[in-house]
Amino acid sequence: MDALLDRRLLVVTGKGGTGKSTLSAALALLASRRGKKVLVCEVVARERVSDFFGRPPSGPTIRQLLPNLYSVHVRPREAMHEYALMILRYETLYKLAFENAAARYFLAAAPSLAEIVMLGKVWWHATQEMERGKPRWDLVVLDAPATGHGLTFLSVPAVFLRLVKEGPLARDMRGMQSLLADPVRCAISIVTLPEEMPANEAIELDRALRSGGFPPGPLFLNGFFASRFSAQEVAQVTRGGPALAAAGEAADNHESRSELSAHYEGVLRKEIPRELLRVPFLFDRQFGAQSIEKVASAIAGSS
Amino acid sequence: MRPLAQVLEGRKVICCVGSGGVGKTTVAAALALSAAIEGKRALVLTIDPARRLANSLGLKELGNQETRIAPELFAQAGLHPRGEMWAMMLDLKLTWDELVERQARSPEQARAILTNKLYQTLSTAMAGSLEYMAMEKVYEVHTARRFDVVVLDTPPTTNALDFLHASDRILDVLDNDAMRIILGPMLRAGKLWFKLLAAPSAMVLRTLARFTGTDFLRDLADFMIAFEGMYEGFKERAARVKALLTSPEAGFVLVTAPNPLTIQEALFFHQALREDRIATAAVVVNRVQRDPRRHGGPDNVAAMREALMLAQIKDSGDLAERLCTTLTEQSMLADLERREVERLSRTLSGVPLLIVPRLRKDVHDLSGLWQIDQFLGGQ
Repeated sequence: MDALLDRRLLVVTGKGGTGKSTLSAALALLASRRGKKVLVCEVVARERVSDFFGRPPSGPTIRQLLPNLYSVHVRPREAMHEYALMILRYETLYKLAFENAAARYFLAAAPSLAEIVMLGKVWWHATQEMERGKPRWDLVVLDAPATGHGLTFLSVPAVFLRLVKEGPLARDMRGMQSLLADPVRCAISIVTLPEEMPANEAIELDRALRSGGFPPGPLFLNGFFASRFSAQEVAQVTRGGPALAAAGEAADNHESRSELSAHYEGVLRKEIPRELLRVPFLFDRQFGAQSIEKVASAIAGSS
Repeated sequence: MRPLAQVLEGRKVICCVGSGGVGKTTVAAALALSAAIEGKRALVLTIDPARRLANSLGLKELGNQETRIAPELFAQAGLHPRGEMWAMMLDLKLTWDELVERQARSPEQARAILTNKLYQTLSTAMAGSLEYMAMEKVYEVHTARRFDVVVLDTPPTTNALDFLHASDRILDVLDNDAMRIILGPMLRAGKLWFKLLAAPSAMVLRTLARFTGTDFLRDLADFMIAFEGMYEGFKERAARVKALLTSPEAGFVLVTAPNPLTIQEALFFHQALREDRIATAAVVVNRVQRDPRRHGGPDNVAAMREALMLAQIKDSGDLAERLCTTLTEQSMLADLERREVERLSRTLSGVPLLIVPRLRKDVHDLSGLWQIDQFLGGQ
């Protein structure tokens, strides 16, 4: 875990609904506890991480959630403004090119323009330095879009550089590309669940990421049920008469879910050559800071 | 009337919508199965089914092929449908190509579009493309009148509005005046367009080119030229698709999981449908935890130990504790989910709410689907 948190950029990706934001928050929490100054960048439609820590949404400005832990919601429109301005340097030029009726449609038609500016902003945070070469952030955690989109997202620099080879934007994209390919500074993690579709998607995503040369981070198997009863115990309690009907059903439910967990863990271990970390299913009334705390200690403990 | 029959009654098109991972495909297939059992010729049109379900139904992966679920498979599952169940997996690229071929004014125009580089990217990568083509395919199948009912398993849409307005948004991109003005020099200049980039009037174009490359702009201009004169046909057809989906012949079934986030999504969707004056036909809450405590029994460790003793089960260690923990966990989860379902039901007053409990095994074949139908039927 230490080696993982020593990176400059951690990307967390996976199928929608597997718990990417949860894992991003937990990784950020662990790093912040180790004295690192951490920024979580959320690039999906709705921001979640600030809410986990009981904070109002950060929106497009960086806000502190806990000591050493900050978050920002990177949205295409603001990122476009900020990033395009960095490149173009002139507000008027920006307005002329981007803030007209065409720009909206243009954004929709150029399939990766939104991704370019969002990734550009994340990259800028990850490499931003204060005076004397000290980085502004020790670690940037990127809560990436879901699988298919996430892969497109990470491939943006390569695709862009095929089209444009010169200029400030190409230079930045080259910087991003080298950061995203550098195992010392960056790692891409996958989050999945012990269910058929998420497991299959994780396998495909892992292959695509490896063939794209992205440095592998751990595979997080979220929603894991560890076995709690032996087969004999389940059989005995289920046949134990009406007084044990509830207990029998509960034990049987638990074991049927733990069987699924074990099954998919086996499949994933066989198919995905990455470190696999289990994250237990949480029975929490409120999903909040305490839940993130549990996830953080689970992944810190299992490495 | 049973809730499921009520949903299916008089409907020729059923769209299952909801966030990703809630079991839309399974519910869509279960609805088609139910219709087939009742004697209809039913087609389930799916986007990305789980491999095991697709395999067990004998579904082919490519080519928009309508595949009949083999009668032997029903017999094996102990089912005897009076109708037929068919399934098809949507091929996004092919559906676009077919639509272009159908709408083009000449084979030459179709070829010019189909071979355009940008068309190949746009047709598959543009946001909303899958939604648009799913609706288009439903319309095509529906108007061919080969089936009594078509059940659509929609793509996992993050934004509810994206689904119904996908075609508007895409057609707006394809036929946009502002874009024509910006690309104007390119559209007019033919092969000499690159000289124009140096002209002062092309500054906006030059600026955009720094972000996208000039090749992209060239492709875009080519694409717009190739598409010339086809917008009207596309728009008219998209309007007919929408008219079908908003007619009483069509019904939307919202599928959700019993957790706050996806329920929120379902409520957003319901609201979006209402704004488009479409009634939600039913809401299916999938994989709901049942409370094991509904059976009663001991509720603390001491009582559990006693019950185990009475049943002559040896508790060599902490079996009673483990059972109590497990009961508490599942009870709490059931309670949380019940509250969520109640909240949903209050907000959706009047819409049939169908609950499918979490089953012991993943559903991946006809008998699993039939089991879901039993719950959908309100049993």
